[in-house]
Amino acid sequence: TYSGGCNELEVNNLQYEVDTAAQIPWYERLSEFKLPWEINGNKQTAINKLSLRVHSGQMLAVIGSSGCGKTSLLDIITCRDEGGTITSGQILINGKPNTPKVVRKTVAHVRQDDRLLPHLTVRETLVFVAKLRLPTHFTKAQRDKRVDDVIAELRLRQCAHTRVGNDYVRGVSGGERRRVSIAVQLLWNPGILILDEPTSGLDSFTAHNLVITLSRLARGNRLVLLSVHQPRSDIFQLFDLVVLLSSGSAVYCGPACDMVPYFTALGYPCPRYCNPSDFYVDLISIDRRSPEQEAECLERARVLAEQFEEKVKDTEDHMWKPDGSSTSITSDDSSQQPGVVEGEQLITISQQINRLPGKLHQFTVLIRRHMYNDYRDLVTILVHGFEALLMSLLVGCLYYGAGQERLSIQDTVALLYMIGALTPFAVVLDVIAKCHTERAMLYHELEDGMYSVTSYFFAKVLGELPEHCVFTLVYGLPIYWLAGLNDAPDRFLLNFLLVWLMVYCSRAMALFVAAALPTLQTSSFMGNALFTVFYLTGGFVISLQNMWLVASWLSYISFMRWGFEGMLQVQFRGNKYPVTVNNYTIEIDGIHVVGILNMNQHPLYSCYLVLLAVCLVFMALYYLSLKFIKQKSSQDW
Amino acid sequence: REMNGSYSMQGVEPDKGTKCRESFKFVSEVKRDVWKEIGEERSEPTCSLSVSKISYTVSERLGPWWDLPSYRKRWTRQILNDVSFHVDSGQIMGILGNSGSGKTTLLDAISGRIGNSGTLLGDVFINGRKLKREEYQDCFSYVLQSDNLLSYLTVEETLTYTAQLALRKHSAEAIKKKVSAVMAELSLTHVAHSVIGGRVFPGISGGERRRVSIASQLLQDPRVILLDEPTTSLDSMTANQIVVLLAQLARRNRIVIVTIHQPRSELFRVFSRIAIMSCGKLVFCGQPEEMVDFFSQCGYECPEYCNPFDIYVDFTSVDTRNSEREAATFNRMHEITSAYQRSAIYQSMLEKVEQNLQQTDKPAIPFKSKESPNGAAKLEVLLRRTVRNLSRDRMGVLMRLSQNLIYGLFVAFFVMHLDNDITKGAIQDRIGIIYQSIAASPYTGMLNAVALFPALRAIGDQESQDGLYSKWQMFLAYIFHILPFSILSVIIFTSFLYWTIGMNPDSVRFLCFSAVVLVPHITGELLTVVLLGVVQDPNMVNTGVALLNIAGILVGSGFLRSTQQMPEVFQWLSYLTFQKYSCELLIVTEFHGLNFTCTPLLPLPGACVITGGDQIIEQGYPGALSRYTLDFVLLYSFLPALLLLGIISFKIRDKVIRH
Repeated sequence: TYSGGCNELEVNNLQYEVDTAAQIPWYERLSEFKLPWEINGNKQTAINKLSLRVHSGQMLAVIGSSGCGKTSLLDIITCRDEGGTITSGQILINGKPNTPKVVRKTVAHVRQDDRLLPHLTVRETLVFVAKLRLPTHFTKAQRDKRVDDVIAELRLRQCAHTRVGNDYVRGVSGGERRRVSIAVQLLWNPGILILDEPTSGLDSFTAHNLVITLSRLARGNRLVLLSVHQPRSDIFQLFDLVVLLSSGSAVYCGPACDMVPYFTALGYPCPRYCNPSDFYVDLISIDRRSPEQEAECLERARVLAEQFEEKVKDTEDHMWKPDGSSTSITSDDSSQQPGVVEGEQLITISQQINRLPGKLHQFTVLIRRHMYNDYRDLVTILVHGFEALLMSLLVGCLYYGAGQERLSIQDTVALLYMIGALTPFAVVLDVIAKCHTERAMLYHELEDGMYSVTSYFFAKVLGELPEHCVFTLVYGLPIYWLAGLNDAPDRFLLNFLLVWLMVYCSRAMALFVAAALPTLQTSSFMGNALFTVFYLTGGFVISLQNMWLVASWLSYISFMRWGFEGMLQVQFRGNKYPVTVNNYTIEIDGIHVVGILNMNQHPLYSCYLVLLAVCLVFMALYYLSLKFIKQKSSQDW
Repeated sequence: REMNGSYSMQGVEPDKGTKCRESFKFVSEVKRDVWKEIGEERSEPTCSLSVSKISYTVSERLGPWWDLPSYRKRWTRQILNDVSFHVDSGQIMGILGNSGSGKTTLLDAISGRIGNSGTLLGDVFINGRKLKREEYQDCFSYVLQSDNLLSYLTVEETLTYTAQLALRKHSAEAIKKKVSAVMAELSLTHVAHSVIGGRVFPGISGGERRRVSIASQLLQDPRVILLDEPTTSLDSMTANQIVVLLAQLARRNRIVIVTIHQPRSELFRVFSRIAIMSCGKLVFCGQPEEMVDFFSQCGYECPEYCNPFDIYVDFTSVDTRNSEREAATFNRMHEITSAYQRSAIYQSMLEKVEQNLQQTDKPAIPFKSKESPNGAAKLEVLLRRTVRNLSRDRMGVLMRLSQNLIYGLFVAFFVMHLDNDITKGAIQDRIGIIYQSIAASPYTGMLNAVALFPALRAIGDQESQDGLYSKWQMFLAYIFHILPFSILSVIIFTSFLYWTIGMNPDSVRFLCFSAVVLVPHITGELLTVVLLGVVQDPNMVNTGVALLNIAGILVGSGFLRSTQQMPEVFQWLSYLTFQKYSCELLIVTEFHGLNFTCTPLLPLPGACVITGGDQIIEQGYPGALSRYTLDFVLLYSFLPALLLLGIISFKIRDKVIRH
């Protein structure tokens, strides 16, 4: 139950227009070759003169066929409108207009799709959210109790220790996952709960159960607003208030049980074995098969909407009440009053200490969550590790046959370049793919204000470090040993550090690209392109002297060039190589080889510094794009 | 066959009048009409389907593979349990049930697509004749839950190509007639010339797409049509329209069986038979008004303003949330089932089955029209279809043609111009260019295949199950249709790169260069498609091919490690890589007869050892000059070898993938 103050949500004469063309993002248009003049934006009214008023203790179901404005309404209320404009009217939450800040404080929004970390168990998911979301004055015991309460409330106890899972990872069932999504929002004890199509995709028992839970929550002094596409008859009977939407205007709004009498009075009785919600949704939905039918349906919907508006003109909450029953509702309200007053006192007391966790705290929670999720996914870790090992063994064995004698100069140079250029490629692809799977959840949680970008950034970057170190080791060690490179320990360490930095550069680059671009395809294309640029300007494929001006500028920021240069210097300096010219055999210092390659212009330490700088620049870019480029969270590809 | 063709045309006429009235009439009246139509007015042979005691069990391993003791144990799960029913032509049967109740498995079993993983018992009779297992597929049409259609074809083209694949002895005229008849029957005529559409670009609506899927099955004149969840993911109004349409199809002397999840209450009047399944058992099967009576007798009344479908499905399904609920609901389900098996409805149905079996003059089994054309003709139709589809896909064509060029632009941007001076990287840059051409072109080929092939593969899986063609034919059609695009794409790439950066200016050498680069490009795509035949996940194939490509370059090219110095195993392995041959060829093409200049900046010994390109060839690839023709032959023999591998891979796919 909810012990906070009484909440009220009011929608006043709302008029909302959507520009259909603006809904399609630019990259999708590009992929269709729609040129700017081919896009003809037409503005459509999504919501038309809609007024509602609900307060705590009520559950309102928004019903309508697809395209009637259900989702738009919920989006506007939660300040997530995209590509549309409110032309008139306003939305008030407790008498104040709905700014994102107000919404974040009072409204919990359960979205249509479940965005959860797949490898955490249900309980872990909730515990981490509790740590992020509950005020700091909660003790651990209190937090655990809260989590247990929510688990009990949503009947998740038997799957509390099962992984959440997703489409690819086996976990809890779809209905349970849905309930976990709701539990995540319930944890922080919001006064207003908004759910977008919570029952779709659930089987009948689960859906039924879920709605019972929701109505119990509403009775516990919460405001519950949900949209439903096609409620079954048993679910419909559980609703207490419904609003029936047709092309953005309300055709009926009031108690669910009074809907059939209302329409019967208007001359549309519902047949006996017929689900009223189905019947009336059909009545007001628009059949677009032919223009005549469409006009007819639109006209019917318009007339019904006008009739309804006429009837509720004088009421305060824009709800239809059958004659004589209005008294019972007011008495209901008065019985709730005392409880509400008590709650308000409670909230004022706790407000001073109601501080949410600080950034440092968020960071520690996030990094732990990150670790839990990543390291439980053993298969992916093993596959990546195996990939690195295979690559390293392949390269190592290829250069192994030299036996007692050392590798020739040419082979050594090629090997050193390969070491730097092979793994980064696989790393770039992996990192981009991973970021895109996580990102829907990231932007949801950022929207909800669960944590700050800064905390996430540091948690992400530091959380991946151990994994990175292990993989570089798995990759770098066998090659070095198999190919029999310079076996002085300091040389090995210097070389390893270079490999580590290079791989880390590519990781940072991939993070940046994944955060900056909208789709997986564009990100991987850009990642590939950048990688190719750095690869070509690395100084091995094309010699540095022969590069023209712009290309040589680019080579100064190519982490592969600096890594290559560093590795050459580490490897060759001081090593003597015999060279035979005209029957004379002379020993030359390996550093001259580096000189011929034009790779001896900068001191060794500068290679490390430049690599470090490149890492930091990409990291900074990653941070900036996380902070300022808001990706749509509802993307699925 | 002619008769069948004309019958559906006739069928439209007498129904037209009754159609509108009927869809909202009460069941008994519908029944009477149907009965009259079939019994008296029609002279076509009626047809009946009886299913008798179908059971299906699978045995599964208990634990995961790493837990050996539990992995060894098996437990058998009964998915279908003794299901029997009887349907006459002209009837539409709806199978209801919660997810996991065995609806889809029942359809799979009847249509013969269930695979070999479990044991199927029981028999299917058509007109009282027992059907052999391998005849199942030839008798029933099966419309799957998802619409797998080529997105750039129009409705008419889609149906025409399908008809051409399915019906051989028909003239072009007859096929045209057939297609327009089917389109008329499913009221698709108004969208005949509209493009189907895909995920990003708009086309016909979801309901219309559904109807196209049904239409392509109707082309073969099946007497029994099975549909798996035809209304899922459609909005309620379209869903209703589809079911009403199916009822009309049934009324024209066909048998239609649909599984359906959450049907609307209006559909109550549309179905002539309703079956409810739970836990693999048929809990009830009978006429709709019998259903209300039956459940009332059992003591489960449907309240007013309730959807009887929902209520009865809930009464009969098992709630597994906790053990008490599970026991209670399971008992209830059991009670209803046994009540049904005692009821008169069940007994009369059994009698009907018996009657059918006893009949003396059993009509023949109505197989689908299946005079399909020979292999070459099928290949030709498939080829035309894929080309037509791709030619409308602006993005696809552009991607195919430009990807290599974009890569070429990158390389050219950084190299600008090749020099002849050794100290200015004459050798290094040339080898770099060759390396890039060999390494990048398979990669672009792979990207094309990963982006475009999986959609076609899904269609091929479905249509090969329908018996239209084999999967390897689709594979061949795909490969043949990409050839011209690949050749064009490589020529654009090479003619840009070759002349811009100034490689060996000899037009014969240019042609050789192009001819060599073509092979890695096609091989990349071929290899990807071959792997996609046996591996389902495109991302995995993506990684796999990328790794193979890198490994091939490392082992085969000889740029990164001269071949003679490699361990012997790798030397042998290198003969299996196309990179070995293509690199040798390109090295010879570029370096043979080339002379370098040398102006060393530092007087270092050994800086100007190499003066001619032939030295490079002798050092790195001894004898490559004499092997030039042989290398070409070996390189090109990779293509037929991979084709063969592909055919094998898609034959394996036939075994592995069931619908």
